[in-house]
Amino acid sequence: MIRRKGLDICLLGFLILSIGCVPISETTLGPGSPDDLPGCYAIFPAGPWESVHRIEATIRGGGSSSLFGVTKGEPSERRLQSLLLTPEGFILFDAERRESGIAVRKAVAPFDSPAFARGLMEDVTLLFLPPQGKPTTWGKETDGTMICNWEGPDDSHTEIRGSTGSGWRILCRDKQGEVIKEVVLKGPFVNGLASRMELRAFKPAPYRLRMTLLQAFP
Amino acid sequence: MGLLCAEAVPSQDWTSLKEAFRNIRSVKAEFLQKRYLQILTKPLLSEGRFFFYISDSLRWEYLSPLRNVMLQKGNTIQIYNFSEGVWKPEMTQAIESRRMVLAEISQWFQGRFDESKAFKHVYSPGPPARVIMVPGEGINRFIHRIEIVLSVRPGVIDRVEIEEPGGSRTSIEFRNVEINSSFSSEVFEKP
Repeated sequence: MIRRKGLDICLLGFLILSIGCVPISETTLGPGSPDDLPGCYAIFPAGPWESVHRIEATIRGGGSSSLFGVTKGEPSERRLQSLLLTPEGFILFDAERRESGIAVRKAVAPFDSPAFARGLMEDVTLLFLPPQGKPTTWGKETDGTMICNWEGPDDSHTEIRGSTGSGWRILCRDKQGEVIKEVVLKGPFVNGLASRMELRAFKPAPYRLRMTLLQAFP
Repeated sequence: MGLLCAEAVPSQDWTSLKEAFRNIRSVKAEFLQKRYLQILTKPLLSEGRFFFYISDSLRWEYLSPLRNVMLQKGNTIQIYNFSEGVWKPEMTQAIESRRMVLAEISQWFQGRFDESKAFKHVYSPGPPARVIMVPGEGINRFIHRIEIVLSVRPGVIDRVEIEEPGGSRTSIEFRNVEINSSFSSEVFEKP
């Protein structure tokens, strides 16, 4: 059985440049069917991969930036390497995420703070790796929409919902249940990677990343 | 064929090269940039065009897959991104690095390889004739060397190869190069 509790994020949206107020309801599910469980991982690449994205970043105040994002992943080891490059190919940031932590290989100002490295690798992890462990609840709505919930540390949780036809959404909520990050993924999927993704961070600092897949391998 | 310091090359070669570049007032060309990274199996390809007018006006524009333009007129540098149907000013990311690159490119198209503050040059008469730019202390952490391959057309650059420590590199191939053609000065002012 599925029930919803309403959560209006208008107040959060008020803080954000050109991002409208969208009520995003939180969904609570009953126990899921084992047959549906693989659907919770459908939006993430299953094997090793590498990709190039065009990234358009917008921050509060209207600042804009276009960069290349190069990412290489090894899902079985939850390992990711991520680079940010200018259009000329300068590497502004190069870091690797492993189980043991984040190793920054190169970071050029203003991308050289530990907070930036931590935040960026959190975003990359959110986009390309499923949350750790098995979802606590999962299931399918009558229209075929898959909904999966993971509980994280500090009472935070992550929800993945969507279907092949309607697209997919990842919602990260804090312990108060407020959405702190939202990712919208649109197909077609190429080697397990969405053709287009948009990440909106609501707090503490609002920003928006629009990513278009340019290259995927294998 | 050895690489020789410019001063040691037979003066005719080096002098002819400098003379060919001295006659250049403007350059307009398209380019294909190939970015090779160790993390990537295939290079990242970008296409663009540039306009240059002596001595310090440059438009360096990427048309795909990112649309971005750097405009230099004198000491003023502006960078814009084409996003959501409009040109938007770029947030100041790596502006100093890009300023340095623009200054270097401007010097190359004037054949002023010996005026670089950041690089020492070595000339090889070829064929093909090449100028090797060797970075000084500090920059050599990011760039191992730059090779500028010259065309048989006097004063024209065919290709630039930028090698980095660790094996990554960038190749920029120029094509449809027009020398001393006329174009509006607005190309250096507006995206």
